[in-house]
Formats: sequence, C-alpha cells, structure tokens
Amino acid sequence: MLAPETNELLTRTGPGTPMGELFRQYWIPALLAEELAENESPPVRVKLLSERLIAFRDADGRYGLIDEFCAHRGVSLWFGRNEGAGLRCAYHGWKYDVTGQCVEVPSEPEDSRFCSKVKLTSYPLVKVGDILWTYMGDPAKRPDLPEFEFTQVPPEQTYTSKRWQESNWLQALEGGIDSSHVSWLHSAGLKNDPLFKGAKGNDYNMADLKPFFEVVDVDGGLFIGVRRNAEEGHYYWRITPWVLPSFTMVPPRGDHPMHGHLWIPIDDENCWVFTFDYQPVRALTADELQAMKDGHGVHNENIPGTYRPVQNKDNDYLMDREAQKRGETFSGVKGIAIQDSSLQESMGPIVNRNKERLVSADSGIIKARAKLRAAAEALRDEGITPPGVDAAHHRVRSVSIVLPKEASFIESCRDAAAVSPGVRQTSV
Amino acid sequence: MVMRPTLLNSCARAATAAEARFRVDVPIGGQRATRVVALDDGASAVVRQVAQQKWGGARFYTYEPRPRSVAVDAELADIVLRSTDGSEARLSEELDGADAMVMIATADDGAEAASAIGNACTLRSIMTAGLILGEGRAAGAAVSALRPHARVLMRSKDEHDVTDVLKALRA
Ligand code: FES
Ligand SMILES: [Fe+2]
Repeated sequence: MLAPETNELLTRTGPGTPMGELFRQYWIPALLAEELAENESPPVRVKLLSERLIAFRDADGRYGLIDEFCAHRGVSLWFGRNEGAGLRCAYHGWKYDVTGQCVEVPSEPEDSRFCSKVKLTSYPLVKVGDILWTYMGDPAKRPDLPEFEFTQVPPEQTYTSKRWQESNWLQALEGGIDSSHVSWLHSAGLKNDPLFKGAKGNDYNMADLKPFFEVVDVDGGLFIGVRRNAEEGHYYWRITPWVLPSFTMVPPRGDHPMHGHLWIPIDDENCWVFTFDYQPVRALTADELQAMKDGHGVHNENIPGTYRPVQNKDNDYLMDREAQKRGETFSGVKGIAIQDSSLQESMGPIVNRNKERLVSADSGIIKARAKLRAAAEALRDEGITPPGVDAAHHRVRSVSIVLPKEASFIESCRDAAAVSPGVRQTSV
Repeated sequence: MVMRPTLLNSCARAATAAEARFRVDVPIGGQRATRVVALDDGASAVVRQVAQQKWGGARFYTYEPRPRSVAVDAELADIVLRSTDGSEARLSEELDGADAMVMIATADDGAEAASAIGNACTLRSIMTAGLILGEGRAAGAAVSALRPHARVLMRSKDEHDVTDVLKALRA
C-alpha cells in the first residue's frame, strides 16, 4: 500500500514536480540512434517527462533536442525542413540550430539582430551506444555521460529496441524489480524462447516455485537476490540490479545475452521501454540478433514504422486462449515483453497503490519506492544529488550463480555484479 | 465462435483513467495480523519507537536473551518475548492467528531466537521476513543468522524502512 500523496509524488514527472526534478538530474534515453540515422534525417517528435520536443540531426551530424513549437506562432517544427545547419519552420521560415538558437527570421531586414534574441529551450542530445541520451536539468549540474555496460561494448555485441507502453513509468519499472512474477507469467518462455531456453538455471527455476528473496541496499540502488534450491548444500541465486531512477537488468541464463531495461516517462500515463541485450565479451551471433529483431527474448514486435507493439490494448494483445490451454503461454499473451505490458497497462494509466495488498515477497518494490521517495525529497529539500547520477553506479551486472548455502550473495558476487571489461558474465 | 468486444469495458482499451471510476470500490477488509520481533538491543530501540505509531493488527515485541528464556518443550523450542507494554509473552501463544512475522535485527545476538521463531512459523505456515538494519560486520552476521529462517530478507541502511515496510504490508 502507498498513501495517495506518495503515489502522486512518485508517478508525476512533469516540470516542477519532485520526481520530475529527480529525473532531470540524469542522462536519460530520448530516442534510438536509428531514428536519426543520418545527417539531415527527418526530424522526430519526442515527448519526455511531459515536455514536447523535436529531435533532429543537422548537416554536420550534430544532434539537437529542442522545443517542438516555433517561437513565432507556435507551429510544430516537425513540419520543418532540415536544412544545412538547422531546422526551418514550414510556416514563415524561421530557422533554428541544434541549440534552439534562432538563426534566421526571413521577414526581418538583412542585417537585423532580432533572431539572436530568440532561443527555444533545448537539451543536449548525445549518442552513447545505440541510444541518443538527453539531460533535461540544470546545465551547471550536468553529470558525466552514462556508462551502462551495454552502451560501452563494441556495436556488434549489443542491440537495443524500444516500445511504447501505455502506462505510468513506475508500474513498468516495478515489473522489472518484481522477481516473483517470473515463475508464473513467463514460465513458458523458459522452455520455448530461443533467447532463454536450454540454460541449466532454468531447471532450478522450474523445480523450486517457492523462492526466498533478499534485498540489499547499495549506493546506486538495490540488488535483489532470489534463491532457489540447487544441488545438496547449494542455492541457485538470481540477482537483479536496479540503479536509480529506472535501470534494471534481468539475471542471465547460460550463455544467452544479458538483458535489461530503462523505463522512461513520456508523460504521466505513458512510458518508453528501452530494452537492451548484449554480450560482454563476444559478438552477438546472427541467430541471436535475428531473434531479437523478431521480438523474442525481452524484445517485441512493433508495428512497422512505429514503436507501438503489434500486440497492444486495441487488440487485446492478440490474446490466444488456445495457446494458453496448450501450455504454450501462461497468460495467453505471447512474448515476455507483452506479457508484462498487457498486465501493467491493465492496471490503468496510474495504478491506485492505496488499494494494493503487498506481501513480503514484494519487498524489492517496497524498498525501491522508499529509495525513490527519499531521493526525490532529499533533492527537493536539501539539493542532494541522488544515487545513480554518478556514472560509477552504472557499472553493475546481473548475475546468476550457484553458491554454497551459507554464502552471502552480496559478498560472494562483489566482482560478478560489477562490470569488468573483457570478463565474461557470471551465469548458469 | 470468437467473441468480439461489444462495449469499451469489454476490451483492454478500458484501461483508462475515465473507466477507473467504475472499479469496484469497497474498503479493504480483513486485517493482517503481523507480529514484529526485535532480536537484539539495537533493534529493540527501533521497534519501541515504531510501536508508538498507529497500526492495524500489528503487535510488537522485543527479545532479551536470558539463560532461562529458552525452554525446550517437547521438540519445539518456545521462547519468551517482551511485549512493548512491558508484559511477558510466549512465542507459541503470540503466533496464534498470526499471518506474518517480521524479525528486526542489527547483529547476530538473536540468532537463537531467530531459529526458534523461524521453526515455529514454518510449523504454522506463517510467512517470515527479516529486516537487517545497519552496515558492516554485525549486520552481515545478522543476515547469515536470519537467512535460513526468513523467506524474505531486507538489508537496509535506513531505520525508516521498518515503518515503510510495515505500512506497505498494512500491518
Ligand atoms: S497475482 Fe499479483 S497482481 Fe494478481
Ligand atoms: Fe516480466
């Protein structure tokens, strides 16, 4: 349960809200690099943290993320022409560079200084890995660029997709922290999915449906450990890191790629789910890459030309009761990603957390909310920089491992749960 | 025959704020009976504070290790707890009708009690959770002591988590 005022605090991310200010302390994914694939690509509408923006790439390859609407009379610059060093409004030809600076007002005299006084709000847009990241906070407090491992490995080792989710960001994030749903909702995926099946860990997973949970508070966020019985005297541990505000990783399976998500508010009722898969020390195989592009694993199939899933709330997520009966899916919905989104969207745009009945197995979620709230309040009241801004906090990995019963997962996995370039992931 | 949705509320598109008005809205009934036990001195101080707040069905206890307090009764060790009102209480009686047991620890002084509580809860199918406060060696030892006896463990640097967790659980 969460009091209504705390729910408001945690779910609202528009300008001036405490959680909105929190998000504005971090570099966050704005769009995929493929959306602005080349110089002078068509501009892309981007809504982030309840602000409507336009992303473009000029003739010199510089990226810009600026106010969507022309300073003259409020026309959307999506209709603009990407011309050389800037974006020209289609209505009266005012032109802006990647910093939002107006560089031409054609109706003014040749040498007029007027345009120098017109500047649209703009945010930096920087390519790190396959993502264009932005920072929407105070320029004076701009942190180092993100260092999540999936963005740091060579391009052939990593793949990122994104999908629109029609729910508030927090209920989406909570799904990434909630390890206890995996043995139910996603159970069939362990058997069938090309990006999951065949790992030894899957057997432990299915053999012990009453796992124990352990939540550990660390500087950048949390580690959530789930243990199941393994061979005599041993436990099989699955360890999920969460880094504030919204980075989570799924514990790996065998030699399959490692994956995770960033859950980014579009506005209070919609979010982007950026989904990545990578191998720390080897290239993704052609089969792995194809499986991801086909929407297997934690990815999904989008309607061509969009980032909206083919299975969405307009078609009941292509519910297939027959497949459910045959045991091919647990819920009748195909694919891990949409199994999650279908349920999270069904909660309503912003779920009423005052009505929940949490149990102790939900401790990861309870603690994550507490940390988010504490971070937002400390920022608001004392200006304290929140956890996860420091790029050192980004260097985490998920882990799956078999340990002797008496071992502490957090002590035993200090190295395994940290990024070591050139070292393979710890995975069973 | 494949049925097609007829009304908005008969398909997933009903997941809107407007349709949320029609959700069945009855007060959440059935109090959860939570027992909270502080296993050592550090934890007792926190639990005494927390117990002052307004709670539903939760009851709070501290455990003071004393030679006489562990009485072996048949195969099951029963222990004596101290209620926050100062009275003594037997674990076996206090577990009557309980749904969840939350053990709070800052060190491993209460290892024996954790084991007795864990076993008693397992026997009665009562959910167990452990909250370990603090950092360093003592907290680490507390984690090891509690791990076999708590289905859920939370290791935290923040005392407020005791209140947060209990509130979230509607204790
Ligand atoms: S069983 Fe968890 S939401 Fe229904
Ligand atoms: Fe999931």
